[in-house]
Amino acid sequence: MSTLIERHIVSLLAEKDDKAISLLYDNYGDTLFGVAYKVVKDEDLAQDVLQESFVKIWKKADSYDASKAKLFTWLFRITRNTAIDKLRSINNKADKEVQIDVSDVYNLGVSGIRPEFMDVQENLDKIEDKYRIVLEALFFQGMTQQEASDELEIPLGTIKSRLKIGLRELGKIYGTSMALLLLINLLS
Amino acid sequence: MKEKVQRFLDSDILEKYLLDETSKDETLQAERYITMYPEVRDTYNQLQDNLETFAKMYARKTPEGLKEIILHSAKKEKAVSRKFFSYGIAASVAILILAGASYFFWNQNQNLQMENTLVTNQIKYLEENMKNQLEDVRNQFIVLNNPATKRYRLNGKKEGKELKAVAYINPVKKLSYINVSNVPELPENKCFQMWAEVNGELVNLGVIKQFEDKDKLLALPYADNAIGYITIEPEGGNTSPTVKNIVANINY
Repeated sequence: MSTLIERHIVSLLAEKDDKAISLLYDNYGDTLFGVAYKVVKDEDLAQDVLQESFVKIWKKADSYDASKAKLFTWLFRITRNTAIDKLRSINNKADKEVQIDVSDVYNLGVSGIRPEFMDVQENLDKIEDKYRIVLEALFFQGMTQQEASDELEIPLGTIKSRLKIGLRELGKIYGTSMALLLLINLLS
Repeated sequence: MKEKVQRFLDSDILEKYLLDETSKDETLQAERYITMYPEVRDTYNQLQDNLETFAKMYARKTPEGLKEIILHSAKKEKAVSRKFFSYGIAASVAILILAGASYFFWNQNQNLQMENTLVTNQIKYLEENMKNQLEDVRNQFIVLNNPATKRYRLNGKKEGKELKAVAYINPVKKLSYINVSNVPELPENKCFQMWAEVNGELVNLGVIKQFEDKDKLLALPYADNAIGYITIEPEGGNTSPTVKNIVANINY
């Protein structure tokens, strides 16, 4: 997403302009819905989470500080925390414990993936499982590094290094595909 | 310094900060390092980019109609906040009015309390005055009606020849009154003054003004073998009687 649109959305949010929500939805809706779904693993619940998240985003609009986080980081934090809270409240109701289902990592499925995300899906496949599992546990399961270490039975030090390397690898992969894409565009 | 930055980057505080999972102290530390050190800032920005990339990999098409529901919820929220804001304004106005009214009533109350004290004092004063007057009238009545009361007629001498007065003395009740019924004209700078000699002491009974009420009885201090005098004194009265100016006296 271009910085220009991001800036435009931020200024609309600050002015509490309704258009901000529409633009946010168009530009980040799918990604945030994917984040919510990844956490709650249920289509209807993910919809509820997205709706609640957008209401929170709208409510907190004037508290967003661009100097502290990029717009997406802020949106991600709100959606992720809303999803984790939702999951916890449901699990509390059912008197169950939150457990990580490692097999979920492989059960992503393609039914909900839009064609324009196919390239990133491919990139996802490029991340080694050992990194992806750690990233997912930390990003989507709301686990602390210690909890991830216990659940995944991986030493804490390894969790830390896999998180760092995983994120770095991600940057490299993404950077490479972006470069390739640019090259193709330039050649065509 | 570099070691410090490296140590910070090696820790997982920045990654935790990215996910909003830092403690208060860690948040402050992360924000301080991000602001102060460009390498930390770059790493943080890179982490943010990577997070976005990673999250996008899980993007999922939002269901049809969800956008409308979300827009509707946001609008409803806005309306609620606006309503709340309006209620806030209304409440503030109400509080202001209430404060104003409270001050007004408090002020009124203070004024009324002051007025009340004033009126109470006035009533007390009037009561006291009335009591004294009543007592005076009662004594006059006693003196005038008592068979033991002796009546002395006074005629003025010298310049005060036309002065006519009647004194009522009751040795039983130890009360004495005088009624000055006629006061002769005096030069402007002169006046009549009454005195009583009680147990060897001269008591000033005051200046006799032109009598508006000729039937008014003036109380005299009673003592056995007292003497009353009327003298002519300079206007405004004198501190001691001028003996040569005695125009009337009465032994009682």
